[in-house]
Amino acid sequence: MKEIRQEFVDTLVEVGKKDKNLVVLVGDISHYRLMPFAEACPGRYYNIGICEPTITNMAAGLSMLGFCPVVHTIAPFIVERSYEQIKLDFCYQKLGLNIMTSGSAFDYSTLGCTHHCYSDFAMLKSLPDTQIYFPASSAELNLIFKQTYNNRRVNYFRVAKVSHDIEFKEDQLKAGKGIKVKNGRDATIVVTGPELKLAVEAARSLKEKGCEVEIIYIHTIKPFDVELVARSIQKTKNVLVIEEHNKYGGIGDEVMRFAKDIDRVKYSFINIGGDFVRDYGSYEDLCEALGFTVKEVVKKIMAMKRKR
Amino acid sequence: MMNNDLRKKIVDMIYRAGEGHIPSAFSIIDIITYLYDRVLNFDPKNPVWDERDYFILSKGHGCGALYVILEKHGFITQQDLDRKSKFGGILGGHPDRTKVPGIEASTGSLGHGIVTAMGIALGLRIRNRKNKVIVLVGDGECNEGTVWETALVAANLKLGNLCCIVDNNGSTAQVLPVPDPVEKWRAFGWEAHEIDGHNEKEMEAVFKKISFQPDSKPKVVIANTIKGKGVSFMQKHGPWHYKVPDKEDMALIYKELGV
Repeated sequence: MKEIRQEFVDTLVEVGKKDKNLVVLVGDISHYRLMPFAEACPGRYYNIGICEPTITNMAAGLSMLGFCPVVHTIAPFIVERSYEQIKLDFCYQKLGLNIMTSGSAFDYSTLGCTHHCYSDFAMLKSLPDTQIYFPASSAELNLIFKQTYNNRRVNYFRVAKVSHDIEFKEDQLKAGKGIKVKNGRDATIVVTGPELKLAVEAARSLKEKGCEVEIIYIHTIKPFDVELVARSIQKTKNVLVIEEHNKYGGIGDEVMRFAKDIDRVKYSFINIGGDFVRDYGSYEDLCEALGFTVKEVVKKIMAMKRKR
Repeated sequence: MMNNDLRKKIVDMIYRAGEGHIPSAFSIIDIITYLYDRVLNFDPKNPVWDERDYFILSKGHGCGALYVILEKHGFITQQDLDRKSKFGGILGGHPDRTKVPGIEASTGSLGHGIVTAMGIALGLRIRNRKNKVIVLVGDGECNEGTVWETALVAANLKLGNLCCIVDNNGSTAQVLPVPDPVEKWRAFGWEAHEIDGHNEKEMEAVFKKISFQPDSKPKVVIANTIKGKGVSFMQKHGPWHYKVPDKEDMALIYKELGV
């Protein structure tokens, strides 16, 4: 399967060749990687400098002229450092923007908290007219970008470094729609990002214990596919939400908010909690330390079942 | 050059609204009048005309001056001015592009409009269009880091179609001074000019000189102005920054303006 970061470049080249309104601004990240775009789309690629709020705000001027700007750098420097720019220059003024990050959550696992970003769903969800995607395979990135980049809204692509390695058919991948990856009756796992791989592995272990879980994969955080998830919870009454986001304002809260009217639902969560991820190590090391493990999934699902 | 009829209109509007920044509008009214009379191309019947020049008031709190100019040129009506800051009106204490014809960017939080203007200038150059982009910032606004990020980036991109006017009215002189602005902007790579921001002849001389040729240095005009110009007791940084006159004040203001 193609590396997602390579797909990011290939998708921009593919779209940029067809659409002269696509302009890419970067903050000295992925510069050499993006040279094919600079060559294919002359005059529409700018490595502006290391000044993320200015890069973001500049894109508003481009948007006013009908361009579809893409701004790209490491997630926290856009989402958190440039939050007022996103809010005032785009949401308030009804202008379109595409934010494409390099990496997600704690993908920069060896670089420490300054390069992590796990409040992004909560922060961006609360702004009007935002759409939030978490593509964790190259096909998702390519198709969802093509479906949305010119919709004149703020599109946030939290681009995962690691893929879940599961292939979907093209017609399954629609912005705003979740995907039922596996049928089951005993519990629902709602999962986003590369952790889909974990959910699938855990489902195999659970099956051996006689527990059939349903897996709903969410690549679009906002707008959230309430209908698909609600239908599943209605059936299973047990739900585990897995997300590489802190415990505030991610899809866990989303699920609880709309499922509050469904009777007798039990909830369980695997997320980043409320602190910084202060450790170093590989992505896999941090997943292990945070409880994104088959063991933890099995434990949480079986605990919900036992309480019935 | 004293546009005291327009100053009266600003005061009347703010008196009715019960809120507004009069001195901040008085320091820029002469410049904005000149720009709309002599420099900018626009069509009030088609505010989004492709060939128009772009003017952005980055120091959004000075919008009283821009509103009366937009009314003068027919973008908005006297009725709009009368309803400033009222429920249902389109004019607020800071300008909103989604409501007001002729407003290019919604400003208010300082240090945004100038960056937006730079983005427009870049976009026009990509499209190979000749429109001018003029942005007006306050000297206090020049405390914001994004102003200096823009100074670096616009010079690096050679956005010669961008001109920034600094309303150097001394707002920040007693807080965080920005001394020697001409030298500062020049050091950042801009073509810098300095004028008396209430003197039409100086404005004419400088805007005759400035070429908006893309791929040249961006331009800055340091306009030395007086905050509250026209009414002696409102001048400089003091209680009048965000104060609404009462009836007695209005009589004194009219007297000083000679209207």
